[in-house]
Amino acid sequence: MAFLLLICWACGSGQKESEGEELVLQDDLGREIRLKRQPERVMAFASSMTEMLFAVCDTASIVGRSPQCDYPDAVYSKPVVNNYPVDLEQVLALKPDLIFTVEGITPLDMAARLEELGIPVYYQKYRSVEDILKGIEDIGRIMGREQQANYLTDSLRQEVQTIERRYSKQAQRQRVLAITWSDPIYVYGQNTILTDQLRILGAQNAVQEVFDQPYPALTREYILKMNPDVLLGGSIERLEREFFSLYPELRKIAAYQNKRIYQPTGNLIERPSPRVVESIRELESFLYP
Amino acid sequence: MRSAFYFIGAILLIVVALALGLQVGTFEVDLPTIWNAFFHHDPDNTTHYAITNLRLPRLLLALVVGASLAFCGYLMQAMVNNGLADPYLLGTASGASLGAVIVFFGFIEVSIGGFYMPPVFALVGAFVVTLVVVVLGYRKRQLIPAQLLLAGIAISSLVTAIVGLLTFLSDSEGKLKSVIFWSMGSFERASWTLLPYPATALLLALLLFAFLQKQLNILLLGADRAQALGVNVAQTRWAILGTVSVVTGFAVATSGPIGFVGLIIPHVTRGLMGATGKSNLLFCAFVGGLFMLLCDLLSRILYPPAGLPIGIITSFFGVPFFVYLLSQKNYKFSS
Repeated sequence: MAFLLLICWACGSGQKESEGEELVLQDDLGREIRLKRQPERVMAFASSMTEMLFAVCDTASIVGRSPQCDYPDAVYSKPVVNNYPVDLEQVLALKPDLIFTVEGITPLDMAARLEELGIPVYYQKYRSVEDILKGIEDIGRIMGREQQANYLTDSLRQEVQTIERRYSKQAQRQRVLAITWSDPIYVYGQNTILTDQLRILGAQNAVQEVFDQPYPALTREYILKMNPDVLLGGSIERLEREFFSLYPELRKIAAYQNKRIYQPTGNLIERPSPRVVESIRELESFLYP
Repeated sequence: MRSAFYFIGAILLIVVALALGLQVGTFEVDLPTIWNAFFHHDPDNTTHYAITNLRLPRLLLALVVGASLAFCGYLMQAMVNNGLADPYLLGTASGASLGAVIVFFGFIEVSIGGFYMPPVFALVGAFVVTLVVVVLGYRKRQLIPAQLLLAGIAISSLVTAIVGLLTFLSDSEGKLKSVIFWSMGSFERASWTLLPYPATALLLALLLFAFLQKQLNILLLGADRAQALGVNVAQTRWAILGTVSVVTGFAVATSGPIGFVGLIIPHVTRGLMGATGKSNLLFCAFVGGLFMLLCDLLSRILYPPAGLPIGIITSFFGVPFFVYLLSQKNYKFSS
């Protein structure tokens, strides 16, 4: 009865309707997922979602982790499951009721294969900091841990608002270019959470053009024209060795001239995780040293 | 007379392609800006800087690499007397890829002493694999073309399998991107520092074969007849092998293994100039350079700003033309 009540109450994002005892969910890709009961054994194929699970769920309900998962430390106590290509036998052995993943990490045909084997896959996608917070709440609802999830997101939301207020009246918005790879040059495009994090900090993504890919490849000429104020992607020494030695022409950009080159923590900036505020604070330390 | 017309046509088209290429990029420029970038250069003007230090070396690298691959393709087809041969038959492309991949996957530091290592190791890989293939193709103090071809195919397959294994075991999406980008070719790394290496190799090779074009044409008649006509076949073959290894090695090391140019442009050359034209090699280099310039231009126009990988363009536009050429009744591989 309590479970039925839970179903009726949970009609927000992520949960669509109940049909008898069955729980019917709709994920961020609009896919319908049917569960026989509320999930008790779960795992995630994305390290960001593993962090969300640890932040919200009873850790005993998390049955595995992907090879990339490295936070929190408790994650190392969980068995590793290859997420690409997916180790189907290992997944079957762990018997999860539901697998969480992020758009782009797990191919849809693999999700279909898992569902044939009786293991539903739930996708989330994020374009902004608020999407991450909603994703956490979503997991809370699905796992019956709404209170813990809301407590966490309320606190994170408050911190984001405080930071946003602090920089809302910036006259000059710094243009930040964040590179993810140097040969070829791949960068954080407009369709990434970094763009929203920079907006919160009163700065802007130097890549203003919207590309189809979240992480577009750029040419030296394009970067030269953008002339970013700040470059993220590695320490000055490392980028000097691995980036500017390959592209000496880019030593003309303002970020290089003014030595405003910083190395963000990889598993912070790359992950849409509950540590998103920590990531914003780290960016803040680069933008306003 | 006809060949002179084709030469002038190719040179004019190269000039036009260079002028067009200088106008394509992120900075919007017109012809007066290009003129000023060269003749009234303002060092503080970023547009001038982009034209002279990014666009021009890129275009010249495309020209040199296209010319190199076409030239080497012509030499290889003449040496093995087979129109299916290309510069990569000696394993140069797979060797270069292995060298680059070893660096991309972190077995070697990406930068040593300020030098970016992937092209350096690509060159080393190209030379090592070519050497192995040549050793295998050498028997009883003679270079045997059929054996050389088979050795090239076998060793290339093995090296490609090693590259595939390393790629499969890669733990980083970024490294995979580097390898994919590398394997399809690009001129984005072009610079005035990089350009002299492939350009010098090509110029020296062109100079050498200015004296050997006649022997090369006689070689198309077959080794026995060439020998009977006074050509030192063994010496000519060694000259071809050495040249192809070095010129292709530098081209691939700077731009990645770009396909089809070395296969199709020699056929285009013979289609236009005849199978044994006196200036075929030089013309082949010009047409290869022109073709690559046009492919680079298209790649940047079709998919700005990064441009499509150049190997995709060379295949898309080269193969239909190649098929058309082969369907022509009057086309012959040799005289």
